[in-house]
Amino acid sequence: MTHKYLSQQGLASLVGELLAAGTRVIAPVRAKDDAEQVDYQLIDSFADAAFGVRLPRRSLKEFFLPATEVLLHYKQTKSGVEIREVPTVAPPQVILGATPCDVAGLAAVDKVMNWDYRDELWFGRRDATTIVSFLCNIMDATCFCTALGLGPESFTGSDVMLAPVDGGYLAYLVTERGEALLKGHGEEASSETIAHADAARKEARSKVEPNLEAIPAEFSTWLASNFDNPLWKTIALRCHGCGACAAVCPTCHCFDIVDEHISTDEGVRRRNWDSCQTSLFTLHASGHNPRASQSERFRQRIQHKFSIYPSRFGELLCTGCGRCSRACPGGMDLPTIVSELVTLSQAKTEVSGQ
Amino acid sequence: MNIYQPHLMRIREITDETVDTRTLKLEFEDPGLAGQFQFAAGQFGEYSVFGEGESTFCIASPPTRSGYIECSFKATGKVTQALRRLSVGDTVGFRGPYGNHFPLDEMKGHSIVFIAGGIGLAPVRAVIWNVLDLRDQFKDVTIIYGARSVGDLVYKRELEEWGKRPDVKLCLAVDPGGETPEWKGLVARIPTAVEQTVTTAEDTFAVICGPPIMIKFTLPVLDKLGFPGDRIYTTLENRMKCGLGKCGRCNIGPTYVCKDGPVFTAAQMRKLPQEF
Repeated sequence: MTHKYLSQQGLASLVGELLAAGTRVIAPVRAKDDAEQVDYQLIDSFADAAFGVRLPRRSLKEFFLPATEVLLHYKQTKSGVEIREVPTVAPPQVILGATPCDVAGLAAVDKVMNWDYRDELWFGRRDATTIVSFLCNIMDATCFCTALGLGPESFTGSDVMLAPVDGGYLAYLVTERGEALLKGHGEEASSETIAHADAARKEARSKVEPNLEAIPAEFSTWLASNFDNPLWKTIALRCHGCGACAAVCPTCHCFDIVDEHISTDEGVRRRNWDSCQTSLFTLHASGHNPRASQSERFRQRIQHKFSIYPSRFGELLCTGCGRCSRACPGGMDLPTIVSELVTLSQAKTEVSGQ
Repeated sequence: MNIYQPHLMRIREITDETVDTRTLKLEFEDPGLAGQFQFAAGQFGEYSVFGEGESTFCIASPPTRSGYIECSFKATGKVTQALRRLSVGDTVGFRGPYGNHFPLDEMKGHSIVFIAGGIGLAPVRAVIWNVLDLRDQFKDVTIIYGARSVGDLVYKRELEEWGKRPDVKLCLAVDPGGETPEWKGLVARIPTAVEQTVTTAEDTFAVICGPPIMIKFTLPVLDKLGFPGDRIYTTLENRMKCGLGKCGRCNIGPTYVCKDGPVFTAAQMRKLPQEF
């Protein structure tokens, strides 16, 4: 991997050039409704960005899978129905100051969106986006990325990663797209700067590692063979089924498709975020519901992230951002739950008949 | 065209099967597509009424009859009730075909027992006609079909046609209390009808579809007759939105009904978590 040194001023002028060229730039910005909170937002100037403050309230997924988006327009005419397609090509955009957990989340959802059928709406936006992540320095006690094969220094999904060094940043140019973005910007990094940044990466990792031990590879198979373990009933007792966890999750991607009238003859088909935690999610028209209780729905969430997705794609569907724990009104804490389950799995506790 | 965009189809024919179940014959608006469209028996699609939404049904017509597809549905929810309000000539949307299919090639040269209950005949009917259209490539064909009452039997004209064919053994049954004075079929539930009709599992595949309770009590009968779990095929359904493995709601544990199914063997089904 190649490196470059980018001064604070150099980063500002890069953003200035991008904005001047009409490129959309998304960065963490202080929330208008709560100055202590941060959201990923489109910025008009480099000064709007608030790097290194805290984890943005929502992940990056809304820039690729909006909370609601139009899939098609329809119009009833005298002779039938006309469909107007929506564009699948998105305008170029740069995401600056993303956390490695949010970026890794996009890479995980890529696999679902490309599973045999390619979701052009998702990839239209993905292909138009260059991602500049920051070495994470905003971790707290709820973060557990290092337990999941990732880390605050992880490059997964990033085109460029910036690590703060004296007066500026060391830019790790992870992909060709990243190299292209920094073409003409920055200068050769001294070996001292590189050593400084590498040390900062190690240090960042050491701040998260004590939060949760690495999840063992066998955990996924243990979960699969413990589908009927009675533990699911007690584990989900505090779950309200509100779906807040899914809304803030960087990897939750389940959606609903509904039609919406604009007038008597015209309307749109929309895709909206949905969550496996709500009672209507799997309800059949007949009244039958395969996941009728909250314990079954919570089991689905854990099984999907730590066993079902891994069985298909070879990695976990969780990046350890901890947002679900922070958002849960019932105080369900995912790292604690996972840690308890891992302990159980290592005690070889299995239900008879499995 | 994104993967969620449907093809436009016109309703060419409407058949009322029962008081609440209807069959639509659909033709592609785009004649080019009509010629290209291919599917296999057991596959499904997303049917839509614009302004109301999409609903998932199997393709109930056989792939051996091209130029159109048929779907049968019971007016139950928002979309199916809207579908019921449509008339001949109206436009609907269709995405598909999705999912796997019944292994017709594997079944060639063997006998087949078809077992269906109620509206469960819809996916089985696609296989039945597929087999009957290639009749000389299969051995004995037995069809066992039942419903709660005589009025609930679907595809009545076709049942009559199958009953007249010398190369089809047809057994019709209605639940006790569901018969009429003119009823000539069995008054029995499906497991009993299977016990009375099927004598051997030798060289035979079973295709079964119906309410979960019917399948639950029929599988032991097939076991007793000696059908191995990998020669019994069924088709599952679950609520779906995309049909493409992305919307995240049709999975039964690690198995996605939309991608790994909807057709499963009894052996595969027994390994699934009890969450369907």
